[in-house]
Amino acid sequence: MSAHVSNESTHRTPKVKKSGAKAHLVTFIVSIVLTALAFIAVGYEVIPIGFTVPFIILLAIVQAAFQLFVWMHLDQKGHEFPRIGILMGVVVVAATVFTFVYWLW
Amino acid sequence: MSGHAHSHKRSGLWDWLTTVDHKKIGILYLIAGGFFFLIGGLEALLIRLQLIVPEADFVGAATFNELITMHGTTMIFLAVMPVIFALMNAIVPLQIGARDVAFPFVNALGFWLFFFGGVLLNTSWFLGGAPDAGWTSYTTLALKQYSGIGVDFYVLGLQIAGLGTLIGGINFLVTVINMRAPGMTFMRLPMFTWSAFVTSGLILFAFPAITVGLVLLMFERLFGANFFNPDAGGNVVIWEHIFWIFGHPEVYILILPAFGVISEVVSTFSKKRLFGYSSMVFATVMIGFLGFMVWAHHMFTTGLGPIANTLFGIATMLIAVPTGIKIFNWLFTMWGGQIRFTTANLFAVGFIPTFTIGGMTGVMLALPAADYQYHDSYFVVAHFHYVIVGGLVFGLFSGLYYWWPKMFGKMLNEKLGKWNFWTFFIGFHLTFFPQHFLGLMGMPRRVFTYLKNQDLDLGNFISSIGAIGMTIGTILFLANVVVAARSKKQAPADPWDARTLEWAIPSPAPEYNFAQTPLVRGLDALWVEKMAGNKGMTPAEPLGSIHMPSPSFLPFLMSIGLFIAGYGFIFEHHVFSVIGILIAFACMLMRSLKDDHGYHIEPDEIEEKGVKA
Amino acid sequence: MSADHTVNSVLPDEPEKATLEGKNKVLGFWLFLGGETILFGTLFATFIALRNQTNGGPTGHELFELPLTAAATVILLVSSMTSVMSVLAMHQHNLKKMQVWLTITAILGIAFLALEIYEFSHYVAEGHKMSSSAFGSAFYTLVGFHGGHVLFGVLWLITLQLQAIKKGLTVVTAPKFYVFSLYWHFVDLVWVFIFTVVYLMSIVGGKVG
Repeated sequence: MSAHVSNESTHRTPKVKKSGAKAHLVTFIVSIVLTALAFIAVGYEVIPIGFTVPFIILLAIVQAAFQLFVWMHLDQKGHEFPRIGILMGVVVVAATVFTFVYWLW
Repeated sequence: MSGHAHSHKRSGLWDWLTTVDHKKIGILYLIAGGFFFLIGGLEALLIRLQLIVPEADFVGAATFNELITMHGTTMIFLAVMPVIFALMNAIVPLQIGARDVAFPFVNALGFWLFFFGGVLLNTSWFLGGAPDAGWTSYTTLALKQYSGIGVDFYVLGLQIAGLGTLIGGINFLVTVINMRAPGMTFMRLPMFTWSAFVTSGLILFAFPAITVGLVLLMFERLFGANFFNPDAGGNVVIWEHIFWIFGHPEVYILILPAFGVISEVVSTFSKKRLFGYSSMVFATVMIGFLGFMVWAHHMFTTGLGPIANTLFGIATMLIAVPTGIKIFNWLFTMWGGQIRFTTANLFAVGFIPTFTIGGMTGVMLALPAADYQYHDSYFVVAHFHYVIVGGLVFGLFSGLYYWWPKMFGKMLNEKLGKWNFWTFFIGFHLTFFPQHFLGLMGMPRRVFTYLKNQDLDLGNFISSIGAIGMTIGTILFLANVVVAARSKKQAPADPWDARTLEWAIPSPAPEYNFAQTPLVRGLDALWVEKMAGNKGMTPAEPLGSIHMPSPSFLPFLMSIGLFIAGYGFIFEHHVFSVIGILIAFACMLMRSLKDDHGYHIEPDEIEEKGVKA
Repeated sequence: MSADHTVNSVLPDEPEKATLEGKNKVLGFWLFLGGETILFGTLFATFIALRNQTNGGPTGHELFELPLTAAATVILLVSSMTSVMSVLAMHQHNLKKMQVWLTITAILGIAFLALEIYEFSHYVAEGHKMSSSAFGSAFYTLVGFHGGHVLFGVLWLITLQLQAIKKGLTVVTAPKFYVFSLYWHFVDLVWVFIFTVVYLMSIVGGKVG
């Protein structure tokens, strides 16, 4: 690539955690599978229709958690405040959605 | 990149329009917030004038509706919030030993968005009528069929101002998390900084909700959407919920900084460490969290059912526990202290019983069964003025008297200050204490007049007279500001023999705050050094060149863009909407593409000014 | 060439967190996403409350088609993956590779938008409009807000590409690329709930009712 850089004595290949790249791919596959499960559950009515809604919401939550913690690195050190921020947001949203479902009149 | 530009000396108006210095932005917030406070106060005076005698006809019913709407909206969003931001900007970075906030540019943008949002809202008086659906703007009253163009101003003005507040909140969260001086752990943060931190968190989670509410109302009024129109399947309770999901945290956004100010002032003027510091921190965080779980107590009479009412009632009463912790901690801080009754401390001491009364009526209102009696009556008006004026405004006065020397380098006059306190304090209680009884006797909130001989005459008369006392108090404060500005005497660095870091640097604070970042060795960082016999803080770094961010005109321009877009939406000339938004985006683009290299202040420049931390 | 000043020998391992400004930016953006959670959460709650109020117009069950939603979902999911790849490339200090992944992300974003515009115009033709019912209002606001986020993301990405060409990979630009990828993941995450709550649940609801 660039000749003048490789001459630098301080040049080194940056450390990239191999497991990182793998985890990202696994998350992608998990996401695809969870999404496919949700569409199949709805499209082909493979599970009792009364359970479909809780089931697909659960799938969405699992997928969201995977993406947050792996793709967005929420699991890493130094992410304490982002975790608190997202958690607090989720708590408020849960309270809001619950109210709008049951206590709108 | 050799020749670093040294300190850009800009002067006059241009300096203020482009500044990214948190201390100057604090002053801007104070001036703008103070200006809106006077407008809101004038509206309040007109309201009390209309109600001074039965069946009066000074302003008329339609104008009265506009007055109460604008009084509430202005005071909450455009007066007390900015003054809180003024104190946070002026003091929080100093208290944590930082040279600057985390995002100086965003900080300036937050101010200008708030400012232009506020101006937009207030121009409604001259452009077709002010909003008249109440500060809560409940639908269906706020729908196009029932309300004039004023509500469009409300919707657009508050969206722009709210955006400014939101980014201001994020800025302070990151500032407190990332910019603390070495040794300044979370459990060594001064109480005011803690309260500013929790308040910023509440802003972050509450303001998006009101933004959504305002967007929905805007779509409903301008683009024919049907969220709230029952004829097309809409539901008015959605607005109530969204408004209070924001609105209840908002009252804690307001009161927590006042709690912080009182904690600082009471401790300084009792010459004692704050009693129960860690329980204070716990109480602040607890109030912040519970503040999100109680919003439906504003809606007990909406008809959500007994389970919802019970749960929200109990959650509301729970808040009395951490609040009680705070009140006892302030009392125990004073207990056995060497109390000095300066003006700042008078306001703080006046705050405690006044706020407690407001808190007690709050617990009364939290009981759903009883609330059916109080709801929408003057009892509620009395309650929230006791917590917002008797709590927050007293707290802000206290904070202004306490930190004025640090912000402006001049002391406010103590004699005038004491007159200010007593007139305001007595006027306040005269105005709002009778309103409890007016409410219990059945006077509904928001009525523009009442009939003779229904036992409402005397209470309303006293209440209106009391408003004069608060007016005199406010005028005395303004007079005090003028006297202080004209006085030649410079304030010392530490006029109150205080305890926290901001008093370790000269008054007013130099633009780089700390010549050398201080090393913090305990709670009440400056007091720790004083007790150890040291002259000042121990520096954590050698004297070196200090990097400063460049001033920028973009925040102002960007806010102007949204200001123009606001008018475009209100008057449905969407050419202007598009132009305005394009201006805003162009500014964002410029900011993104052009790196800000800032400039440096060299050690010799710091030495020249003879300033050492 | 742009690649020449890409691999800076002093560029640290995680360049987005190398400076205080970078750390501030990443943290501030995360907190902003916390606020965005509330923003979308409130819109979701409103949609859930109003989703059956069709005012005599077409219902979600009649309107929505699984293949279209599935296509949009796959496009966005893949674009989320490509933005992960761009950050991995950035951590390898490989500017060229990062630019390639970002370009693919942008193209997928535009494809998603095109699909959404097609979908909306299709619905409007069937009488499902913003003004036709509370359901219509809630649907277009929620899905439209998300689409607006995608559009903003694409525009943002274009400005980032300009900077990648002009400035390369430095401790100043790295946080911008990183923060963009957070944003893009978040937009994809919101879509996971949109396809579940808006599309799939409406279709299930139609079968029950």
